[in-house]
Amino acid sequence: MSESAASSEFEDAFHKAAERHERVWVFVAVLMLTLLLAGTMFLVVYAYGVVVRTAGFRRDPAAIEAPEGSIAKTGPNAYTVTIVARLWRWSPSPLRIPKGATVTFRVTSADVLHGFAIQGTTVNVTAVPGITGSVSYTFNRSGTFNIVCNEYCGLEHQGMLGRIVVEGDPA
Amino acid sequence: MSATAFPTVLPASIDAPADALAPQRRTMLAFLVWGFSALMIGAMIGPLQALNYGGVNAYPSLTPLLKTYYQGLTIHGVLNAYIFTFFVTCGLLVYLPARELGLMPNMALWRGCFAAMALGTLMLLVAMFDNSSSVLWTFYPPLKGSAWFYLGMTLVVAGSLMPLPILLDLRARWKARRPGEITPLVTYMSLTTMLMWALAGGGALIELVVQLNPWALGFTDTVDPIVARTLFWWTGHPIVYFWLMPAYVSWYGLLSKQIGGKLVSDPMARLSFALLLIFSLPVGSHHQFTDPGFSPIWRGILTALTLSVALPSLITAFTIGLSLEYAGRLRGGRGFIGWFTALPWRDPSVAAQVLAMLTFIFGGAGGIVNGSWELNNIVHNTTWVPGHFHITVGTASALTFMGVAFWMLPHLTGQRLLSRRLALASAWLWFTGMSVFALGMHWAGLHGVPRRAWVSMLPRSVYDRVYGDAHLALILVAVGGCILWLATIAFYTVFLGSLATRRLDRRPAIPFAQAFGGRESYALDGGAPVGVVAHPSVSKLARALEHLGLITAFTALATAAAYVPIFWPFLQNATAAHGWKVW
Repeated sequence: MSESAASSEFEDAFHKAAERHERVWVFVAVLMLTLLLAGTMFLVVYAYGVVVRTAGFRRDPAAIEAPEGSIAKTGPNAYTVTIVARLWRWSPSPLRIPKGATVTFRVTSADVLHGFAIQGTTVNVTAVPGITGSVSYTFNRSGTFNIVCNEYCGLEHQGMLGRIVVEGDPA
Repeated sequence: MSATAFPTVLPASIDAPADALAPQRRTMLAFLVWGFSALMIGAMIGPLQALNYGGVNAYPSLTPLLKTYYQGLTIHGVLNAYIFTFFVTCGLLVYLPARELGLMPNMALWRGCFAAMALGTLMLLVAMFDNSSSVLWTFYPPLKGSAWFYLGMTLVVAGSLMPLPILLDLRARWKARRPGEITPLVTYMSLTTMLMWALAGGGALIELVVQLNPWALGFTDTVDPIVARTLFWWTGHPIVYFWLMPAYVSWYGLLSKQIGGKLVSDPMARLSFALLLIFSLPVGSHHQFTDPGFSPIWRGILTALTLSVALPSLITAFTIGLSLEYAGRLRGGRGFIGWFTALPWRDPSVAAQVLAMLTFIFGGAGGIVNGSWELNNIVHNTTWVPGHFHITVGTASALTFMGVAFWMLPHLTGQRLLSRRLALASAWLWFTGMSVFALGMHWAGLHGVPRRAWVSMLPRSVYDRVYGDAHLALILVAVGGCILWLATIAFYTVFLGSLATRRLDRRPAIPFAQAFGGRESYALDGGAPVGVVAHPSVSKLARALEHLGLITAFTALATAAAYVPIFWPFLQNATAAHGWKVW
């Protein structure tokens, strides 16, 4: 048997196996992606609070409704707070809330894009000039959380930090 | 159409008369050198940003060249993500198909493409180096850079679309001469990439022409930030496939030949590209999962579509992996892993591309996390994201292009590569540096360290209080950046040095791969009598995928369907924002 015939035989065998494995692989890939999608959707339903919803539009980004930075008590341990992002500060900050509180954050910007992220949580909202986004989150752990601006907003972007202090019972 | 003095069918072998193919080679070389020069500047700045995260602020010592971290980051992002990739891609995706088909491309259009993008690059450089436009590569308004920036960007985007008519013309001429045959693979992949990009580029072009150019020139006072952002991501997500697909062209169309094997499946390569065309377009707003203003229902649909775009890459992983295995076994590799070590690792072009693929396995996995809606909340705009795209575009694409340059420079210039060993070293250093850097960036992102932040400017106490948890991760970022500095120096020693080496006796050929059941290469029979050449095994799938016009039309409709509901509330509730120059 010549060398090229042997190589061709190897190629044929490899090709046949390849086609069989290819079908299995595509099936496995589709199955894996379907399971990932199911898992993702479960997570969304499970923690729907941090899905960004729309709480209003306004034509002029600077026209923020008063009173700015207020905290409103909306339930036994539930609060709504309007967070306004400006070059280069968060208001209100620091924000004091009791442990276990469910806080609805209404986040907007008065000038350029900013990003409202609370370190160590899943709260992550773009502060868009002219649009107010809304998420809710329950703080079950006491301590100090950093608000970090995570959307580039100019020279002092890195210093645009805020604080949420969750005051809890030591028990 | 072609008003060139050259014959339209050229013998494409290496012994062809030099004068006939020389213009194509020269133009390709110009694209390659311009693109890689952009990367050189961008990559030299990169490690400064990595050091920044490690707490080392190098910028004060660099004034007046670079005033701030944000200026350096803007230059780094624009040059690497746009200029480098666009030039290499717009060169490769015309040159390779033209040589595969043995036809002369429309040189006027191709040179026009170069000229438009080169002029755009110069305008961008002026706007970035004078610190008037430190708006980063995403240039989100209402941050307002100078008009030079937006006009330059417009020229670059418009220029990058010009290979499409060149490819359509090449394919039409080839089809007219070979009725009934399917488009050769490299041409098919290149054309699909450009069709995808033509649909994708619409977003950025509209943003620039309708919103940003008139605003920067003073014809309008205000801009709608969310509309601009959404238009940007209409282009900004598919652009990642404009970075990636040319690397796939090399992996599918060339690499199997370079490693001494064959491509195991030509139809699967076509299927991957068709799926990338369809799925990459409608999903751009998954970059806006954290933006208010559009319905959660669309976020869910975007999640499903985004996961779908992983499928063609998973198919690619299989097909390319198997092609590597085939070559490895032919080369005597045995056992479970022996085929992998048996690959020609001493060839820097092969080593660079295989290392790029390895990195992309992790890049792709991270991408699935980013696309998974709520998981994105944890990583969005943290260092995780640049960590992710440095092992995708920054390695899977860039290191592949570097690997392509290692065979292409000698092919284009007819001169030897300066040093095979140094080329190998640069590939391994790039791979190592990026891996360490990306590990640190991903890890730090999970601790909530934001991307694009001049954290080394913060007082030490603040840096430690806010980012102290990520200390080890941030050290890895800085170390990775330093290794990448070495990689860059090694690579450019080889790249620039190879432009001034002694001549080869023989110009290396383009390594067009042969597929299982396919013919050797179309490139080898340029000039042969034209007619229907019996194709041993044209699969039904490959034939169905020839209908690129239909696939493109379907994609355009799907894109429109995805974007109308997203834009609707934004257009109903317009915002008028004034510009800010705050850097």
